[in-house]
Amino acid sequence: MSVLQTPVTHERRPVRFVVFAIVTVLALSGLTTRLVAMQLAGAPAREPAAALAPALVGRQIVTEPVPSTRGLIYDRAKRLLVENVPTFTVSVRPADLPLSQRPDVIGRLSGLLDIAATTITETIDGAIGSRFDPVAIAHDVPEQTARLISEDSLTLPGVEVTVDARRDYLDGPLFTQLIGWTGSIDATAYASLKSQGYLPDDRIGKAGVESVYESALRGMYGVREVEKDGTGRTLRVLSTTTTPQAGDSLILTIDSREQKLAQQALDWGLKLSGAKRGAIVVENPQTGEILAMVSAPTYDANLFSRGISTADFQKLLLDKNLPLMNHAIGDIQPPGSTYKLVTGSGVLADKKLGVTETVLSKPYVQLGSTLFWEWNHAGWGPLDIKDGFAHSSDTFFYQMAQRLGIARLAYWARQYGFGQTTGIDLPAEAGGLVPTDQWKLETLGQTIFPGEVLQAGIGQGYDLATPLQLVNAYAALANGGTLYQPQVVREIVSPDGTVVRPFTPKVIRKIAAPSWVFTTMREAARRVITSRHTYNFVDLPIVVAGKTGTAEFGLRDKNGVLPYHNWFAGFTPKNVWTKDNPTGDVSKPDSQLAFAVFIYDAGTLGNTATEVAKYYLQLHYGIKQDLRLPQLLERTNFYQGGR
Amino acid sequence: MGVLRVERDAPTGIAARVGGVAWRDFDLQLFVYAVLLATLGLTMAYSNTAAQLGGDVAQGGTTFVRGLVWAVVALVAFAAATAFDYTWLKAFSWPIYVVNLALLVASLVLGSSDAVSARWVSIFGLQFQFSEIAKILMIVVLARYLADHDRRLDSLAAIVGACLIVIPPWILVLMQPDLGTSLVFIAVLVGMLFMGGASLRWLGALAAATLAALPLVWTYVLHDYQKERLTSFLDPAKDPLGAGFQLLTAQHAVSDGGWLGAGLTNGAQSQSNLLPVQATDFVFAVLAEELGFIGCLVVFLLFAALLWRILTIAWRSRDPFGLMVGAGVASMILFQIVVNVGMVLGVMPITGIPLPFITHGGASLVSIAIGLGILQSIAMRQQRAEW
Repeated sequence: MSVLQTPVTHERRPVRFVVFAIVTVLALSGLTTRLVAMQLAGAPAREPAAALAPALVGRQIVTEPVPSTRGLIYDRAKRLLVENVPTFTVSVRPADLPLSQRPDVIGRLSGLLDIAATTITETIDGAIGSRFDPVAIAHDVPEQTARLISEDSLTLPGVEVTVDARRDYLDGPLFTQLIGWTGSIDATAYASLKSQGYLPDDRIGKAGVESVYESALRGMYGVREVEKDGTGRTLRVLSTTTTPQAGDSLILTIDSREQKLAQQALDWGLKLSGAKRGAIVVENPQTGEILAMVSAPTYDANLFSRGISTADFQKLLLDKNLPLMNHAIGDIQPPGSTYKLVTGSGVLADKKLGVTETVLSKPYVQLGSTLFWEWNHAGWGPLDIKDGFAHSSDTFFYQMAQRLGIARLAYWARQYGFGQTTGIDLPAEAGGLVPTDQWKLETLGQTIFPGEVLQAGIGQGYDLATPLQLVNAYAALANGGTLYQPQVVREIVSPDGTVVRPFTPKVIRKIAAPSWVFTTMREAARRVITSRHTYNFVDLPIVVAGKTGTAEFGLRDKNGVLPYHNWFAGFTPKNVWTKDNPTGDVSKPDSQLAFAVFIYDAGTLGNTATEVAKYYLQLHYGIKQDLRLPQLLERTNFYQGGR
Repeated sequence: MGVLRVERDAPTGIAARVGGVAWRDFDLQLFVYAVLLATLGLTMAYSNTAAQLGGDVAQGGTTFVRGLVWAVVALVAFAAATAFDYTWLKAFSWPIYVVNLALLVASLVLGSSDAVSARWVSIFGLQFQFSEIAKILMIVVLARYLADHDRRLDSLAAIVGACLIVIPPWILVLMQPDLGTSLVFIAVLVGMLFMGGASLRWLGALAAATLAALPLVWTYVLHDYQKERLTSFLDPAKDPLGAGFQLLTAQHAVSDGGWLGAGLTNGAQSQSNLLPVQATDFVFAVLAEELGFIGCLVVFLLFAALLWRILTIAWRSRDPFGLMVGAGVASMILFQIVVNVGMVLGVMPITGIPLPFITHGGASLVSIAIGLGILQSIAMRQQRAEW
């Protein structure tokens, strides 16, 4: 083997080698310096321990949130409606549950809590947030079970029992639609609320005022430092860095006594007539305060605050009578003859009809080849506005609708608040519908037909309204033309009792009609009662004004007959007793009480809504005399006998 | 320069290539430092296994046992690479490049895509990261290219050429997504260009261009979780239960180490398995907690000695290819040390870069073993004058 040197075939660059060596030495020295600072100097560059998750490492000082108390809810007379009661929650902290022990632990929990193991697994795996956040797997656990689980922490690693406050809705189903309930925060809501300090296992208001006033009710989490041992058990509380702030309480405009009476009246009407859906709303026309709001069918909010089962929830969800809906604000239906208020006010204000001018009511109005029938197929001869309203003459109001035209009719409907939400402080309010040429062009591609104008004039056809819109319109009539925004929360009160937000009435608009229009229409509404259109309503020892409505909807049955809803909307003057007000004077806009009753698919001989309203007024004014006519609630069809 | 130009004996066959080399030139120091480091790595694997299982560390399938298996595999790979005549690597560098790309594409396609990363490929039940091997293959290919362009590295064209070679595998690695390895590629490229004598002006210009491109990469290339990890080191306390958790715990563990450490398998955080990925990316935290400052210093010194040996072999190489391989391997190891340890100590962002030898991971160890083997091969095949 030749042993001569292979020539160096490239240029050597000692400087670059030296530079590389220096870089290496500097880098390693830098790291060493950092190590010295962290390991030997005693004080690490950053203090890591305090902020750590409940540590598994020896004893640890940990900061953790201190839950705040959610605000309470009272009625207007400060009667407690919702309170917080202690309840035990079992949670699993996934990071503390070793994978190898997971099936065992879940199996044991499944047995103790009587929840399917698969459900527990799904809950843990579906949890949002970090693995170090506890995932609640069972709420409202009986104290006995909670004790068993918390004492067994050795065989149940990662399982925690916490005491939470649960909302207890004292009157159960009575206020469910209004007050709503709280439930576990879901992923989407959490994503948007995380920045406001919500935790992944928080509960938030999900319906009713619990949801609308969430930010007021909630309060603020406190922060405290606690010392925990290696298993995460709290040894002692060291200090509270931030005191939790209890949420503010709500005082509703609702009077729970009125609410009960209203429910009693509605339940009686529904039971006798066999109807399933309905609503009654009572409002103070001078302020827009809602005094009672009952929606049927209802359910118990406590089902949700205790953690509703999937089966129960499905049942509520699939019920065709929609118990989850607040029918007083969410159900939009044709308002029927109650809507003649709009047509009557409009035609007077637009000077298309004089106050004393008479118009001939007749068996039908003919338009082309179509006959638009009077409801009694006969008519009453010449009628002025008050008698037309009192008899609820369809042919009279067909002609009024023709005089107004669809555009002005829609204008006056919107003036009264139809076709738009009232802005009440409750979620999921529906806006209803006031048909116009433009609306029909956009949705159906045609303008309104002349026949549809007639329909619109009597609250049929495309007209859709909620019971709340109706009571609010009649409240405006009763107070002389001011449309208030209805409210259900009167005041927000801080935990120490100071009023954070006092009650202020909110005016939507002054209806653009002179006051004599409202006086005339109030007198017309009074004549509905005095004309005995509403049978013996007039025999009550109080002055009542109102309007009935029977609105056809849906599809004809095999006899060619349409199902129909019943409505009754009205008010009482301040001077309500007939002994003080023998003439039944309603000319003053001083009413303290407006109401509307809605019965879905009534199908009774008489107007169920009117009977319910009558019963409610009897209860409200404490009238001993019982003028209810149960025979009118016999199930049949008002229109039977055909046309 | 070469006054005498004497041809070496023409190799006559594989036997001659394997046998006919100067085994006395085998760099024993390099080998010893590497073995010591690997032993430390195994020790940490033992400790981590104890943390996971408590008792039966030696039972089949544990981290420790897998570490032993990989150590044997790495030793075999090292021996093979040492015995193999590195000059063949030069000849085959382009096929190697193609194989490299194919492996990366394959791992993208076949990779087990649990979580968001497709970087793992399972071979015979052993999880394997192709991107680790890709680093060594990349060094070989680049060394060949730069050696061919020796003395011409003043030109921008040669530098751009080197970049063009790196870019395709770099993009494939980034797609896995393996941000850490992709950064190692860049470090290796820069180190090799520097040691190869590339014009400092052009290197500077290249660095400036990269800096300018960073905002674009940040906006369009990086995933949110990558950004979160990259920035959490600046203030880990900001999100102590989320992205900053790992860092805070790691720093806590390191601080707890003190001079001598808590002793093997005695680390409080380590043994309660509090550190996420403590067997891999954060293994240094365990080492610092259990072996203390002295243990860390030993590791640093071993690394320094290893790098010194690698640079010595690079210096002695008469062939620019050898120099380049040495430069590449040294740059790779140094960069990984700085980034990994820096991350644990809270001075570098979190990237999934393994600590050579110490991090438990077969591919990383095998890849470095191959690199060192090639260097040994280079060391033994530099003939000297023997008058």
